[in-house]
Amino acid sequence: MFEKLAICVVVLLLAATQARAETIEDKVQVCAGCHGADGKPVDKTIPTIWGQQAGYLYIQLRDFKRGDRKSDIMQPVASQFERDDMLAIAEYFAQKPWPDLGQPRAPKDVAGKALGASASVGCPACHLDHFQGDGTVPRLAGMGRDYLAKTIADFRTRARGNNPGMSDLMLATPLDDLAALVDYLAGL
Amino acid sequence: MSVKGLAALAAAVGVGLLSGAAIGQEVKQDQKSQVGNANVPPVTQDQLNAADKSTRDFLLTNGNYAQTRFYPGKQISRNNVKNLHVAWIFQTDVKESMETSPIVVDGVMYVTTSFSHVYALDAKTGQQLWHYAHKMGPITTYCCGPNNRGVQVLGDRVYLATLDSKLIALNAKTGEVVWTTNIADPELGYSETMAPTVVKDKVLIGTNGGEYGIRGFVRAYDAKTGKQVWNFNTIPDSTVGVWATKDATGRDMHRNIQAEKDALAKVGDPFAKLGGGVWQNPAVDLATNRIYFVVGNPSPDLDGSNRPGDNLYTDSLVALDLDTGKYVCHFQYIAHDVWDLDAVSPPVLVNVRNKAGKTIPGVIHAGKTGHIYVHDRNDCSLIRFSDAMVPQENMWVLPTKEGARMLPGANGGVEWSPIATDPGQELAYAINLHQPMHYRVESSPYPNGKLWLGGAFTAIAGEKQSGNITAVNYNTGKIKWQVKTPEPMIGGILATAGGLVFTGEGNGKFAAYNSSDGKELWSFHAGAGVNAPPSSYMVGGKQYVVVGAGGNTQVDFKRGNNIIAFTLD
Repeated sequence: MFEKLAICVVVLLLAATQARAETIEDKVQVCAGCHGADGKPVDKTIPTIWGQQAGYLYIQLRDFKRGDRKSDIMQPVASQFERDDMLAIAEYFAQKPWPDLGQPRAPKDVAGKALGASASVGCPACHLDHFQGDGTVPRLAGMGRDYLAKTIADFRTRARGNNPGMSDLMLATPLDDLAALVDYLAGL
Repeated sequence: MSVKGLAALAAAVGVGLLSGAAIGQEVKQDQKSQVGNANVPPVTQDQLNAADKSTRDFLLTNGNYAQTRFYPGKQISRNNVKNLHVAWIFQTDVKESMETSPIVVDGVMYVTTSFSHVYALDAKTGQQLWHYAHKMGPITTYCCGPNNRGVQVLGDRVYLATLDSKLIALNAKTGEVVWTTNIADPELGYSETMAPTVVKDKVLIGTNGGEYGIRGFVRAYDAKTGKQVWNFNTIPDSTVGVWATKDATGRDMHRNIQAEKDALAKVGDPFAKLGGGVWQNPAVDLATNRIYFVVGNPSPDLDGSNRPGDNLYTDSLVALDLDTGKYVCHFQYIAHDVWDLDAVSPPVLVNVRNKAGKTIPGVIHAGKTGHIYVHDRNDCSLIRFSDAMVPQENMWVLPTKEGARMLPGANGGVEWSPIATDPGQELAYAINLHQPMHYRVESSPYPNGKLWLGGAFTAIAGEKQSGNITAVNYNTGKIKWQVKTPEPMIGGILATAGGLVFTGEGNGKFAAYNSSDGKELWSFHAGAGVNAPPSSYMVGGKQYVVVGAGGNTQVDFKRGNNIIAFTLD
């Protein structure tokens, strides 16, 4: 997996130095290196962007460019794009089918614990029924397990700094509940 | 603001039939407007002014400009309500949280769904006449579900406010777009879920966004053109106020005034990102040409450290001049709120007895605190507050990093749910939530239009939640009757001259109660949460009661996509 990640980074760095892409297909070519040519990310800590909510994808690109969300990989990529590019790229991926990562459904007891935690903190109030997301709020159902775990951990330490509201909510949720949520969401 | 000319969104496909059941949430890929024909005469201002007397129509979100939600018809009564049965069920294309108030104009019903769809239906048969599916922009930022609470008609236009913060006028007959106006930037946290109030050629609208660091407002737009007429910032340039240490009921809120004054000297007035959304319709006093509305919480909800002062006019009743939008008076329930126990349920204009026992024009509001507040309409001053309708414990303990337990929970008390009144009985009817919560505080800087709670309120695992329907005598403040429900209640309630109140629950129950004693007289199970305000109307000589059964995002009640109308044989 390290090898795949290394290749993905090299592809990205090469792409970042290329002349400005013209068509939407040119612009998104760089994304496949890490997020997968078939929508399945090449590494488990990389998020699924096929079928993701367009508003969310746009905001993340915007935040990478602004530096509000930190990533040595994504920041140089997003910095090439203007707002209209970001909106077009976001829409492009939002129209793709969500890939099945083949992650197992959570056992009944884990699912129960996850739903209890979700009810307490109120996840569906933003992520909606069945965790499908909408607008600037991401779909979580079927997202890569390792990415979910890493993101929640990063929210808790505020290393993921572009949504302090999520940091607050994750800090208010016990760790064992969060672990259950990760397994539950990944298996949806 | 930009006013665009308009263009029909999609091809005319004629009069639609009952649509198929929704799959999942919104059918985004296939969504299209269906232009049809609703044979409905223009609605005049005179009709709207007299909406409280009409048994045929239900013209405004809360029944009439006073927002009494008192329907004057009595064909359905205590004696015969046991025979009430389903007249028709209409399935919308959107299976998500449903908070719509159906309005009815001469046999044509207008309802909305989540994601800002509008349907015109034959109010007698439930047959679809047209469907407007709003083409949502990619950027929406909203709290508590993609809800829409309804539309209003004036003349031959239907007015809608959308989740991506646009105001739209539709042709009432066909559903075609007449004009669209951008209200505010959704990327900065602005959204619309409320129904507009249209009066004297002005479309009145507030904004959501108190969870995102907006600067709230109420605006009037020209009903003919969509151009802004006036703007009132619910957050004034000076928000400090009087450094109130007690809430409206006289309880100490444990503010550290010196620390706040020090913060003020350091950070200045926090008005620019202070929140103050307006979730529900203003009441209109036609006699004095004033509007009355309530303003929501300050941003961030739970962290007061960077917003010193009373945070005017958050958590307040506010009155404005209808023609100019100029300030008339206000009353703040909770200064410097750090619990999100704000003011959201729409205010109601009724005559009330003042402290001297004299009957005067009043305005009442049901708070998340669980009190019904009774005001003098002249100067907004508080006359009395009711008995608490829900348990209150540990008020006002300050939120902590570890979480401080306090009741009510942050949803209330009374949430956005409109109350009903029966002036003949001097009663106000409210539905309440009981959700024990922990209040936690975390401090973080303004996040550029993203969720900004300043902490978290979490329902306490293992503590029982419940709800209730409560009738309060607003001239005494005493609870007359209360019906406990197994789950927290959110949605709305309707009172009728038939001596009934109608309301629904998250478990799908929709029921009628004797409005004098709370005795249950009839019920129906809808299969999905009934979390929307009911309406009533007459067509073909028969009275109907109609309600949406689509569940609720905020409290996560089972979703559905049904509009259900009931009548007698």
